[in-house]
Amino acid sequence: MNSPPDSDKVLDIRNLRVSFSSIAGATRAVNGVSLNVRSGEIVGLVGESGCGKSVTIRSIVGLVPSPPALFEDGEIWLRTRRGMTETLSLYKNMKALRQIRGRDVSMIFQEPMRSVHPMMTIGQQITEGILEHEVVDPAEAYDRTVEMLDLVGLPNPPAQMNRYAHELSGGMRQRALIALALVCHPQLLLADEPTTALDVTIQAQILELIRDLRERMSMSVLLITHNMGVVANLADRISVMYLGRIMETGTVEEIFKEPAHPYTQGLLASMPSLFSQPKTHLQSLRGVVPELAMAPKGCVFADRCPHVMPICDETPPVVELRADHSAACWLYDDVEASQGPDAVTARPPHGSDSTLGDSSQRVEVIPLTKTEPTADADQKKLADSDTDLLQIENVALHYPILRGLLRRQVGTVRAVDGVDLSIRRGETLGLVGESGCGKTSVGRLVTRLVEPSAGRIHFGADGRLEEITHIPQKEMKGVRRSMGMVFQDPLSSLNARMNIRNIVGEPLMLHGMARGSAVDERVGELLEMVGLRAAHQSRFPHAFSGGQRQRIAIARALATEPSFLVADEPVSALDVSVQAQILNLLLTLQQQLNLSMLFIAHDIAVVRHVSDRIAVMYLGKIVELGNARDICVRPVHPYTEALLASIPLPIPGLATLQEMPKGDLPDPANPPTGCRFHTRCPYSQPICEQEEPPLVPFADAVDHFGACHFQDELHLQGVEEIGEIHGPAAAAGGEE
Amino acid sequence: MRTYILQRFIQMIIVMVVVMLVSFIIVELPPGDFLTTLREQLSEQNVDPKVIDSTVEMYRARYGLGENWFFRFGKWAWSLMKGDMGYSMQHNRPASELMGERLSLTIWISIATLAFMFVVAVPIGMLSAIKQYSAWDHSFTFLALLGVSVPSFITALVFLLLSVTLLGATTVAGLFSPEYVTAEWSWAKFLDMLKHVWIILFIVGLGDTASTIRVMRARMLDTLGEPYIDTARMKGLSGAKIYFRHALRVAINPIISSIGLRFPQIISGSTIVAIVLTLPLIGPLLLDALLGEDVYLACSILVVLTLALVVGNFLADLALAWLDPRIRFES
Repeated sequence: MNSPPDSDKVLDIRNLRVSFSSIAGATRAVNGVSLNVRSGEIVGLVGESGCGKSVTIRSIVGLVPSPPALFEDGEIWLRTRRGMTETLSLYKNMKALRQIRGRDVSMIFQEPMRSVHPMMTIGQQITEGILEHEVVDPAEAYDRTVEMLDLVGLPNPPAQMNRYAHELSGGMRQRALIALALVCHPQLLLADEPTTALDVTIQAQILELIRDLRERMSMSVLLITHNMGVVANLADRISVMYLGRIMETGTVEEIFKEPAHPYTQGLLASMPSLFSQPKTHLQSLRGVVPELAMAPKGCVFADRCPHVMPICDETPPVVELRADHSAACWLYDDVEASQGPDAVTARPPHGSDSTLGDSSQRVEVIPLTKTEPTADADQKKLADSDTDLLQIENVALHYPILRGLLRRQVGTVRAVDGVDLSIRRGETLGLVGESGCGKTSVGRLVTRLVEPSAGRIHFGADGRLEEITHIPQKEMKGVRRSMGMVFQDPLSSLNARMNIRNIVGEPLMLHGMARGSAVDERVGELLEMVGLRAAHQSRFPHAFSGGQRQRIAIARALATEPSFLVADEPVSALDVSVQAQILNLLLTLQQQLNLSMLFIAHDIAVVRHVSDRIAVMYLGKIVELGNARDICVRPVHPYTEALLASIPLPIPGLATLQEMPKGDLPDPANPPTGCRFHTRCPYSQPICEQEEPPLVPFADAVDHFGACHFQDELHLQGVEEIGEIHGPAAAAGGEE
Repeated sequence: MRTYILQRFIQMIIVMVVVMLVSFIIVELPPGDFLTTLREQLSEQNVDPKVIDSTVEMYRARYGLGENWFFRFGKWAWSLMKGDMGYSMQHNRPASELMGERLSLTIWISIATLAFMFVVAVPIGMLSAIKQYSAWDHSFTFLALLGVSVPSFITALVFLLLSVTLLGATTVAGLFSPEYVTAEWSWAKFLDMLKHVWIILFIVGLGDTASTIRVMRARMLDTLGEPYIDTARMKGLSGAKIYFRHALRVAINPIISSIGLRFPQIISGSTIVAIVLTLPLIGPLLLDALLGEDVYLACSILVVLTLALVVGNFLADLALAWLDPRIRFES
């Protein structure tokens, strides 16, 4: 097998095995991975974190430090300018490996914010790459760098040459890094989660750029991502990876239309998309990705698989379902043997749609039967909706910008600039917007974690609204009993030195609600309510996984039986399958405890899935407010349309993004005049630069507000709701 | 950049004024007045009363004693700025005369110690990080721990002991060989000093060098783990280019910013060593002045040391701003 592959392949990984040795023993992070990328192709490598995707891709270019890594087996063939080269064997020959890096294969990384050198200008960093590989004079290298910066869409390239990383936004840095990677015209670009750290609108721009450059520079791309929407959008073929093994490989159409492996099916079902039924449970995979050392023998997915069979103790065969679609699963083995590969249906015999959901609810104490969203839950809400639980009026949060020796105020950051909102009893209000739009500040304002610069906040736990804008902290403590808060990062929001009993029980003790053994009892109840074991009280946060930690944070937030919960990006730091579990848990608890919730997130698909109403925020202002479905089906503000269009939908070949918002979020200290969105708006008119549009009711719709001058004339494109994903044919744009 | 320098410069002046004010208050704190002390001292020495009167009068006029404190402070500060450090009552000589050579020697030795620390610690720390957990790394980790934990006067004593017992040296202490101690500065005296000075640099700088090795190693390890180093690797750069061009300039930042702080630390840290090795540095003089309640001398030394600290910090800030664009563009 030691022969180079045929010339069509740019990259051919054969049976790669990489293990890591540590004090605890050796674990195999990559276990027999075979993968290839053909000329001009974009291949997506998908899977949850900890599945060995990064190790695989980094092995190609020798970026995995060894030791501790040990390359046990396999070959990696890469097409270089000197012909097909086996790169694993080059590890001892650093010089040869270095000649390949940057010239034949390049890589862009997950964190653009940290991947640009902070003390070198953009120009220096890019020309350095050219001068390393080619004999050119500096002037030519300079010209080529400018040209490349232009190609990746950075405005005013000559000026960018002398700029430093901190002067560029995240999206611009990723563009600069793409320019850096492609300046020597490599045939293969390795992209390791290139858009995960970016805002959705910027993500859409970067994906578009990669797609565009693939054509223009005729290169191939190997893309790692955990986001099924991103691969659907960009990739031609997909490999799904789990615990060091490839579970399924196929063309993007095959995988999305007929996912064969239960893991692929689970990943797809876990994702809240703009098509899923709102406020219903997602069909999450059960459990979490286990530690490598604890992986089941045989099929590594067996312990989370809804179709697990006795034979799964043995390593499953890779079954060719049809040309270019294979899965490593026992479900298809017998079919192949008896009927031959042509007759294989890609659906597992047990029926994937129904069984997955039920088994995934194992962790919830009270499994919610799939209620129709129009049923009693909604009716209850109607009855309650007369009474608001929270009202904020014209609330603002301004930070002074101080400069100079005397700390004079030279400006103001208007983080929140006059926001009116109300949350009804038992209602979930979703607050969505890009990072830096002020949505987190709103959450901190309503809980009085920061003092508002202006405006009024009313809150009423027991029916009567009372003003809490400036009440003293002592009184506020009483009000806080009715408020709970869940934060984004479940690791840093739990004190690592406190055990779970004290973390969850602290609010109880603070408010004098329980003491001594009563605390233990209540904490036990709370833990079981969020799907953990009561007996785990004495453990410390590090003993839990990310999803479990978020459950603990939820238990803590609910300890004092609040009527109001602020959830600030509660799932954005979690893996897809865990994200679905936490969303399900929040939905269950909300209905069970009749909670009102302010759900803050940047992902409009997630927000839509849990919210009754949605408020869209841009640069400190609410630009659209309305029923969750109305907003997604018929957005009235161009920014909402942009957010919707930016979500990569898990439907291959879907033509989204007609008019993308241009550029980055403007500086909140110096917001544009008039309509704040006009600098990025594709429909901008002269009036938008001068007059700020107020938030007014939209046409004849009840409860739907927009802040656009032309909301009654524009017909913006939303996403039609279709319940379940049935394939590309069912995907539809909004009304014209 | 210009506003940044100006800002730092103004801050520097403010700090200096505050320190001088505090020093002045200390000078004024003891009950009575310097003139009474002087009068007593002079009469004890059986000086002619007329001379006493004229001397006292001279000092009264010179320091504006008897005027309000603000005026006196102005006078004192002004004379300090002109280089008049006041009068040492203990030694009966002007303070500036006492400090003179000691001060310049101290400053030169401190700068040399810093340079020694830099030249030794940065490469060792860097290599320790690059070859983490290698024999090199382990041995320097051990040595650095030793260097941090052994006080410098012990090193000095051990050194004295060794050179006497093993090498049979007779003149181990001091900065010069006996024949040069009182000699005028000459090329030969300078060469003689060089023979002695490296030992002093080693002893005084050992602790700081050891801790700097640790800081450098930790910073280099952090920096090598940063994603932009991966970016540099993926350009195909060689190890040397990655380490020196990309990692070093980021990793060295805290070491440069600590130089300003190390300066006075070295001066005070060298005091004990200077006493043990009988070096003509400023430290022992300060100790002497403090023990003898020689306020003018003590305060002058304090002000000068503060000046060294402030100027050192200023220079370190300039170096940082020159290195790091993020600081340069802050203002």
